[in-house]
Amino acid sequence: MNIIPQLIINSIIAGAIYSLVALGFNLIYGATKFFNLAHGVMATVGGYAVFVLSKVLGFHIGVSVILGVLCAGFVGYGLDKIVYLPLRKKRASNMILLVASLGVFTALEAIIAILFTSQFRTLAQHIGTQRIYEVGSAIITQTQVIILIASLVLMAILGFVLKKTMFGKAVKAVSDDEEVAKIIGINTNKIIGYVFFIGSAIAGLAGILIGFDTGIEPVMGLRLLLKGVIASIIGGVGNIYGGVAGSFLLGLVENFGIWKISAEWKDAIAFVVLIIFLLFRPKGIFQK
Amino acid sequence: MEYIIHLAILFVLYAILGVSLNLVVGYTGLLSVTHAAFYGIGAYATALLSTLFEVPFLISVLIGIVVAGFFSFLMGMVLSRFRGDYYALASLGFNVIMYSIFLNWASVTRGPLGIAGIAKPEIGGVLFSSNLLFLLLAAICLVGIYGISRFMVSSSFGRVLKAIREDETVITIFGYRTLDYKLVVFVISASMAAVAGSLFASYISFIDPSTFTVMESIFILAIIILGGLANIKGSMVGALFLILVPELLRFVGLPNDIAGYMRQFLYGIILIVLMLYRPQGLIGEYKL
Amino acid sequence: MAILKTNKLTKHFEGVHAVDGLSLNIEKATIVAIVGPNGSGKTTLVNILTGMIPYDSGTVIVSDTTHRLKKIKPYTMYSYGLTRTFQEVRLFDQMSVRDNILVVLTKRKVIQSFFETQKSDYTKAANKILQKVGIWEKRNELAKNLSYGQRKLLEIARALVTQAEIFLFDEPFAGLFPEMRKMVSHIVAGLKRKGKTVILIEHDMDVVRELSDYIYVMDSGRLLATGTPREVLSNKEVREAYLGT
Repeated sequence: MNIIPQLIINSIIAGAIYSLVALGFNLIYGATKFFNLAHGVMATVGGYAVFVLSKVLGFHIGVSVILGVLCAGFVGYGLDKIVYLPLRKKRASNMILLVASLGVFTALEAIIAILFTSQFRTLAQHIGTQRIYEVGSAIITQTQVIILIASLVLMAILGFVLKKTMFGKAVKAVSDDEEVAKIIGINTNKIIGYVFFIGSAIAGLAGILIGFDTGIEPVMGLRLLLKGVIASIIGGVGNIYGGVAGSFLLGLVENFGIWKISAEWKDAIAFVVLIIFLLFRPKGIFQK
Repeated sequence: MEYIIHLAILFVLYAILGVSLNLVVGYTGLLSVTHAAFYGIGAYATALLSTLFEVPFLISVLIGIVVAGFFSFLMGMVLSRFRGDYYALASLGFNVIMYSIFLNWASVTRGPLGIAGIAKPEIGGVLFSSNLLFLLLAAICLVGIYGISRFMVSSSFGRVLKAIREDETVITIFGYRTLDYKLVVFVISASMAAVAGSLFASYISFIDPSTFTVMESIFILAIIILGGLANIKGSMVGALFLILVPELLRFVGLPNDIAGYMRQFLYGIILIVLMLYRPQGLIGEYKL
Repeated sequence: MAILKTNKLTKHFEGVHAVDGLSLNIEKATIVAIVGPNGSGKTTLVNILTGMIPYDSGTVIVSDTTHRLKKIKPYTMYSYGLTRTFQEVRLFDQMSVRDNILVVLTKRKVIQSFFETQKSDYTKAANKILQKVGIWEKRNELAKNLSYGQRKLLEIARALVTQAEIFLFDEPFAGLFPEMRKMVSHIVAGLKRKGKTVILIEHDMDVVRELSDYIYVMDSGRLLATGTPREVLSNKEVREAYLGT
């Protein structure tokens, strides 16, 4: 059997998930210029919010997903207001913001583990009954089709919002130069707050989709974050379209990398890619 | 009494890790999030050499130092080209790769099963079998590492490290090859962490990869940030504090696994609060 | 004898020629002023000469050592006797005033600096220079706690202790009080007396007229005029384009 079509499909699914994480990460990096290491936990928050809503409280699955996404968004927004905004007001260095986000990540992961134990859980409704499509010699599940469609639609919407709306222009102004944006009358802290909301909500969606595809666990955030960050660096940090391209490239390398060696080495492969890029292309594939 | 000795041993181990990490983070200003990797290398060196070849403890410590030195040299060659957030990220990546190796190179490390039956240290016919004797041995190591660190930071070398932290470009145009300095301090710091690893392995007599995660690196970082950057005594204070406080949680009667996460939560909160209100830590001499 | 020469030095950023075919010939033991409006490429020139940014083409010759295409490494320029200050003062902020001086006095090699603890002759030299610029009382303060003028003086002191042959001072007088200006101009004149070469980037034409032996006027990365202060300041083109009179 030819394995290559399956590897390509797996790569694309992984790329779609990573690009959701990378999108939010780059949006936030663009506006604030620090590596938000707590970004991955937003995916965990989204995943567990849906878990509670649909499996514990019995909400309809669609409603749960929408509320779960909003929940991740609000957590991100709240963190900006409680932690990052006060630090920005004190003109704290990027390193302080980075360490603070490390603290947020550490604490949130612990809270989730305390509330839900470290057990692996799935969000899927009827395990083993989902529809499977065959594409040549490869298969793709219904969930994975949804993942693909959802992330493509989301990227299109986000691209439109950033390009065409006043809000998008304000985000661009803040990303280009926060001081100048302030001078021309943009309420930068408000915009950055929204950016945290949107970025975190998108990450939350990524966590939820993973929950339907495979499952969620408290420690999933770090790995997702790292993949998103690596994808961003491949594509050029702060460049949201570059991040998407980087995500699919990372997905390809990872999945083809484990063709000949065992799947446990996925993370190590991703980091080897990162280090190669840092050494030879620190500003990503698109920049000189 | 045994319990207090146990805590004292833990304190000594983390003091070694903290003091050595402070050389890189506090003095040189490089936010390294990979210290647990070298801790792990030392631990695995002693564990493997003692269980497979019955190599004496001191020799295994030396081999651990050499192996950690070798790996840190390679990593340092890459890392020394970066500063700031990219350094933090790339170093974190190395921790993930190293953890991956501990976990997945099962033919050597036995993967998640870990290595049991590691012998207690025996030096010159003296078997350090009781915890009190072991504490003595560990304390001697700490004193040695403390002394070396003090010597380093009070020499011209240490002053150059601080200048690199403050403005690397400027100290370069005054004729210093900063890459060499960054590399040397990184290798020394990693070698010291390996000593802590060797001690840990022979003390607990069982190790598995879960001790050497990115989270452990964050714990060590929390210790030195709490105690104060660029202050060696501060790292000892930080280690003391962060060893003792989680122990209080035990007295509240929390189950063991939850206590572990409570500790993680606490470390995260400490990092956030410090960044917000006291980024220089308790007695630090450098603000990020 | 020329101690520093550049030949057709060129550097452009995204299409803008910051330095455009610049040829300088700087004699030993002189004070040379480089003047020009903001954005005329003065600081870019200094950054190239200290190896902080690469250049596109041309050559730089320092003390008979030729550097071609992008070969300058920041730490090598120090060994050719070049040192500088910055337009926006760059100190080691979270280090003491004295450590700011000591750090440029000590051995450069890692191994040597490792086994070098407090050396009394270094401390003596540091104290001496701090007294000279009048901030000895502040020796144990952190550099970031100094006033603007004191920071400027500390940066100059840091350059002075290096025993360099060529000093690149990027606007050393800007923002200083009169008595501090006097001190700095005294220091600059003293360097020349000791046979050192000073390259002065300066806006203040009074200072330039008073101190310099030779002036290069830069505009858009090129030389607009060169000559002695008398020649340059009477040059009609210069007066119109730059001095506005």
